[in-house]
Amino acid sequence: MINSHGKIDLHMHSAVSDGTDTPAEFLAQVKRAGLGLFSLTDHDAVKGGKAILGMLSPGDPCFIPGVEFSCKDGEGKYHILGYGFDPDEAEIRRLVDHGHQLRLKKIGARLDYLKTTFGVDFPQEALDWLMALDNPGKPHIANLMVKYGYAGTKEDAIRLYINQLRFKSEYLSPEEAICGVLAAGGIPVLAHPCYGSGDQLILGEDMDQRIRRLMGFGLQGLEAFYSGFTDKLRREILDFAERYGLYITAGSDYHGDNKMIEIGDTGLEEVSDWPEGLRRFVKDATHGEQVEI
Amino acid sequence: MECNQGENAVKIDLAGRIDSNNAARIEEEIFAQLKDTAEGSALLLDAADLDYISSAGLRVILRLKKAYPDICIANVNSEVFEILEMTGFTEMMTVEKAYRVVSVEGCEEIGRGANGTIYRIDQDNVVKVYNNADALADIQHEREMAKLALILGIPTAISYDVVKVGNSYGSVFELLNARSFSKILAQEPEKMDWCVQEYVDMLQKIHGTLVPPGKLPDMKETALGWARFMQDHLPEAAGKKLLALIEAVPHDGHMLHGDYHTKNLELQNDEVLLIDMDTLSVGHPIFELASMYNAFIGYSEFDHDNIKAFMGFDWDTGLAFWRKSLSAYLGTNNPRKNQEVEDKARVVGYARMIRRSIRRHGLESEQGRAEIAHWKEELLELLEKTDTLLFAPNELELEAVAENLPEVQAFVDEHLEASGCPAKAQMQIGVAVEEIFINIANYAYKPDKGKATVRVEVSENPVVVSITFVDHGVPYDPLAKEDPDVTTAAADREIGGLGIFMTKNLMDDVSYAYRDGQNILTLKKSL
Repeated sequence: MINSHGKIDLHMHSAVSDGTDTPAEFLAQVKRAGLGLFSLTDHDAVKGGKAILGMLSPGDPCFIPGVEFSCKDGEGKYHILGYGFDPDEAEIRRLVDHGHQLRLKKIGARLDYLKTTFGVDFPQEALDWLMALDNPGKPHIANLMVKYGYAGTKEDAIRLYINQLRFKSEYLSPEEAICGVLAAGGIPVLAHPCYGSGDQLILGEDMDQRIRRLMGFGLQGLEAFYSGFTDKLRREILDFAERYGLYITAGSDYHGDNKMIEIGDTGLEEVSDWPEGLRRFVKDATHGEQVEI
Repeated sequence: MECNQGENAVKIDLAGRIDSNNAARIEEEIFAQLKDTAEGSALLLDAADLDYISSAGLRVILRLKKAYPDICIANVNSEVFEILEMTGFTEMMTVEKAYRVVSVEGCEEIGRGANGTIYRIDQDNVVKVYNNADALADIQHEREMAKLALILGIPTAISYDVVKVGNSYGSVFELLNARSFSKILAQEPEKMDWCVQEYVDMLQKIHGTLVPPGKLPDMKETALGWARFMQDHLPEAAGKKLLALIEAVPHDGHMLHGDYHTKNLELQNDEVLLIDMDTLSVGHPIFELASMYNAFIGYSEFDHDNIKAFMGFDWDTGLAFWRKSLSAYLGTNNPRKNQEVEDKARVVGYARMIRRSIRRHGLESEQGRAEIAHWKEELLELLEKTDTLLFAPNELELEAVAENLPEVQAFVDEHLEASGCPAKAQMQIGVAVEEIFINIANYAYKPDKGKATVRVEVSENPVVVSITFVDHGVPYDPLAKEDPDVTTAAADREIGGLGIFMTKNLMDDVSYAYRDGQNILTLKKSL
C-alpha cells in the first residue's frame, strides 16, 4: 500500500550519475520533501536504485526502480526512461554495461584530444579517480582541469577546451534501450518529450512523428509533467498520451545541487489532477500495489 | 503586452546565447545576483542583447518565474519571441518585443491629440508618439478603434508598426502627402468654406454611424465623471444641476470621435481621412460639440494666443470656423439656434476644461487660477439658464411676437431649401406659417408675452413637410371657427378668419390639439 498524499517524482538523479546526493542522502531528501512515490533514474546506472531498495523500511515512500538512457539514432536524440524492472535482471545489466562502456570510451577520446591538442595532462591518480566514477562525464573532466590549473572555471573548461572536440560518439539506439527495458519487464517512457535530449524544441507534427516512431519500438509512456514544461507543452504531451493510449509520468529531473530543481517539482499539483494514464502507470509500475490517493 | 514592473523591479540583462552549455552557469549567476532580493519581488529581464535561447535557457526562466512570479521579459527580438510564444511562455508572463527605434527630432509636428503627438517622419509615414510611457495598451486600443471605425465606414488610417521613440512608444501610419485641415486653414484661408463643408460632412458621417453595443465606451459615463469631479468646485446647487443635466441626456449608440478638430482631419490626395481614433466613443452629439467648442474656442477663450500654438491659425479663424461649422452641422444660420446649442456645448465643455486644468495643477499658477475663474463664471451663468442639454436642430423656440416672424420664416425656409422644396410650395407654406405664428403672437398670451416653438420636419417617401407650432397660451382652436363666405362681395365680408381659411386650402392637412397645457397646431403639405 502506498501511503501517498499524491506527491510524486519519477525522474531524479543521485551522485551515482550527475546528481550530488549519495543514495542515502537522496532517500533522506525524498522523505523530507514528503513524496509518496518516487523513482531514481540515474544515467546508464541502476546501482543507486539497488542501494535504495536495501535502505527502505516499512512506512517509507513507495519506490519504483528506474534508469535514464541517452539515446541517438539517424532521426535524433532521445532520453529514454525505464521503470519497474528488476535491477538484477540480465537485460538491464547488459544495457547499463553497454551504456557505461560507451561513456568510458567517450571519456578516453576526450582525454586524448585534450592531451594532444592543449597539452592537458592529468596525473595517474586523477585519471584513476575519473575512470572509477559510476558516471564520468564532461563536468568531471572540467573539474580536474580547474583543479590542475588548466582553466579558470568549470564553464570555461567546457566551453573553451572540452567542447572543441566534436566527434561522432556512440550512443545506445532508442530501439535498443526500449527493447532492453521491455525485456527486463520494465516500462519504457520518453523523458521530457518536447525538449528531445534536453536542448531542442520539438512540437506538433515533429513530435507526433517522433512518438509514433518510438512506439514502433515499444515505447509505452510520455513524461508529460516535467519541471521545465509550461502549461502549453504539458497539454500538448497529455494530448499525445491520450491519443495513443500511452502511460503518463511526472518527473522533476532533480540533480541535487547541480541543477536548481526541487524534488517534486513536476507541475503536477493536485491528486485530483492525476490523469488516467498516470494512475494506470503507477498501478502497473508498482506491479499492482494499491495506491491510496 | 507591456512590462509594468515599476521602478522597484530588479533588472537583469540577458545576453548572447543561453543554451545547455551555459544555462547552469547563467542561472547560478542570476540567482547569485538575486540573493538579497526577496522572493516575489518584481523582476525585469532585459533581453535586448539576447540572440538565442534554447530549452535549457527556457528552464532557467521558468525557475526564475517560480521564485519571482512577477516577472517580465522586455526587448525580446523576433526569433526569441517566436520561441517564447511557441512554448507558451508568452501566456505565462509578460513578454515585450523589441521595437524599432525612431527619432522625431526635427520632424514636423502635424497633429496633436489628447494622448499623443503626431510627427511626419518621412514623405509617406507619420508616427504618433504617445504621451503615456506605458502606451502599448493604448496603441493596441487605438488600433482596435481604428479598425472598428473603418469597418463601420469611417475613412481612417490604421497603424502598421509600433516603434520606440525615446522613452515612449509610437505607432506608425502611412499618410502620403497629407495635409491637416489646420494647415490648410492656416495656409489658404480662402478654403475656409470648403473645409467647413468637408469637416461637417465627416462629422455627420461619424454621428450617423450606429456602433454595435459594447464596442465603444459611453461618453455619457465619462461626462458624468467630469460632473462628479466638479461637485467640489461649484456651489452645491450648481453642481447638482450640472450632474442632473448630464444624467438627463439619453443613451445614444451613435459614434463620437471625442477629439474632433482640424488637426485630426487630413486631406490625403483627394480623400479626407480621420486620424487619432483612440478617443472614439458612443453618445449624444452634445458631448462632441463640447470638445469641438473647447478646441476652437474654450482653451483660447482666456488667452486668444493659445490657439495659434495649437492649431497654427489665429483666434479669428478658429472662431469663424467653429461658428460656420456649427451652423452647417445644425443646418441653420439662425443665430438664436446656434447660440442655444453652443451654450449647451459650453456647459459640458467648461466642466471638462476646468477639471482638466485643476488636475494639471492649474490652481497652482496665477494664470491658471484666472483662467479657471473665468470658465467657472461662464459655467455658473450658463447653468442658471439651461434646462436641458438636448437640442433639436429643426426646432426653434422664441418669443411669440410679430417682430419675430421674419426669423421664423427664415428658419422654416432653410429647412425647406435643404429638402429641395419647390419654390411654389415654399411660398404657400410661408403664407400658412405667417398666419399661424401671427395668430399665436396676437392671441395666445394677451396681454402678456410668451414663447412659441416651431418645429420643421420633412419625411421622405412620400415627401411630406410638417410644421408644428407649440405655445403655452390659453386654449384656442383656430380651426373651430366657421369658414368665411368668400362668395359675398368684399364690402359685405366679415373682417378676419380669412387667414385660417387660406391656410386650410393651401395645406393638405391642418390639425389642432390641446395637450399638457399646450396648443399644438400642425401643418402638413405633400411635395
